[in-house]
Amino acid sequence: MTARFGRTELPEDLERVLRKAVRLQWTTLAVLAVSVTLVFLTMGNSQAMKAAWIEDMLSFAPPLAFLIAVRIVNKPPSEGYPYGYHRATGVGHLVAAVALCAMGAFLLIDSGMGLLKGEHPPIGSVELLGQTVWLGWLMMAVMALTAVPPVILGRIKIRLAKDLHNKVLYADADMNKADWMTAVGTILGVAGIGIGLWWADAAAALFIAASILHDGWKNMHGAVTDLMDTRAMTFDDGKPHPLIERVDDYLRGLPWVESAGSRVRDQGQVFHVEAFVVPRDQLPPLEALEAARDGCIDLDWKIQDLVMVPVAELPAEVGGQRQHQSERSL
Amino acid sequence: MRTKFVFFAALLVPLLAGCGLKIPSDPEGTLDRVSGGTLRAGISHNPPWTETGTGTGPTSTGPEPAATGSGPTSTGTESAGTGAKPAGTGIAPGGTEAELVRAFAAEHNARVEWVSGGESNLVRQLERGELDLVVGGLTKDSPWSKHAALTRPYLETSNAQGDKEQHVMAARMGENAFLVELERFLSEEIR
Repeated sequence: MTARFGRTELPEDLERVLRKAVRLQWTTLAVLAVSVTLVFLTMGNSQAMKAAWIEDMLSFAPPLAFLIAVRIVNKPPSEGYPYGYHRATGVGHLVAAVALCAMGAFLLIDSGMGLLKGEHPPIGSVELLGQTVWLGWLMMAVMALTAVPPVILGRIKIRLAKDLHNKVLYADADMNKADWMTAVGTILGVAGIGIGLWWADAAAALFIAASILHDGWKNMHGAVTDLMDTRAMTFDDGKPHPLIERVDDYLRGLPWVESAGSRVRDQGQVFHVEAFVVPRDQLPPLEALEAARDGCIDLDWKIQDLVMVPVAELPAEVGGQRQHQSERSL
Repeated sequence: MRTKFVFFAALLVPLLAGCGLKIPSDPEGTLDRVSGGTLRAGISHNPPWTETGTGTGPTSTGPEPAATGSGPTSTGTESAGTGAKPAGTGIAPGGTEAELVRAFAAEHNARVEWVSGGESNLVRQLERGELDLVVGGLTKDSPWSKHAALTRPYLETSNAQGDKEQHVMAARMGENAFLVELERFLSEEIR
């Protein structure tokens, strides 16, 4: 697999980062497989364990979406897909987010009903090496065991997500990082049953369900706004991406440019830029336009697809006069 | 920092357990009440596992016929661990599971108060906390699993159709100390 995003060739150091991210996602899948199996085997009648298991199952989606998307966005643009395949990342992100929301809501209702009806969860024993052992001990051991690896993976992945500007990877890392709360919640819930507090299990499950729903909502918000072509933001949606300013500054600095402003949308990992430029006196020769375009593309690897539009006046959306808009109003 | 917290939390729970708390314990204190007291056992007729005092089963000890027609259920009490001499009101349940219940009660110095009836009635009483356990040749895939805490299967047999049947008893939901104690008893008894 050559590391590219559509026609965008990655710089060498980022290619290494991408390979590392792919490796880490495979590791995540392996860790999850073990975790899901262990939790399933010890699940019993605990609602908190059930919630934790469902969360683990859902955690398969973001790494899978990432691994699939990395392959799909590799394809160069074609006649049928003139913008390339970058949006595959966003589609994967949205699907994973909707799944999270749905399961979170289901678990919230399921656990809430259990709590309201006063269901006392029965947790029996298993025979281990000829001894009768309370299943709750095994549950707590499994949760303590599966709590740590995702946190470590999450912390590494969050750095890679920043370098690669990949929001699916970021969302995934963010969820992994918070995974320990699920584990601790479950342990407390099961321990609660252990000391005779029947409601502790359902309460822990409610807490986990709320955290799943919160993750889902946050991700859905991010995925939907990206598919709506909001202005490009930093990888954590914290602030407008600084590249927008840099493109505008570069264009404004050219001798033939009177003023400039761009619409930049995030295609998943790379940006699609529409740069509006107002020439000083008259249109410069084509060579000057080409040179300006190449100059922008050289600013950052994320910019590859840039359309430059010479206009008489800047549209309102990119800082021009109010009456002049990029969509022509009749 | 967060990782340390996880380790800390994971260590904390077993430590708490060491401080005299019995884990698991019963929200309604079933095991404590039964020990040295009375085990209220529901029994529904299902030979050879349970026979509600008809006197025809191989392990039945009660010579008198079961009280019938006086209601959906009938009760009788017998003293702890006798097995052979019913001291109650004429019901002397037999069958392998009745014997197991007697032995379990004897181990906890408890008298057995038998309540015989249909499964659904008994399970409803179990849910309301009027019974501590129910026997009646129940199997693992019993429809009562949402209403009663079924023990881990203590015995596997094949029925006439050759299907596997995994035999369980039913305890009250969430009474986990009692449930685990019963499971431990059954696994040691059957071994």
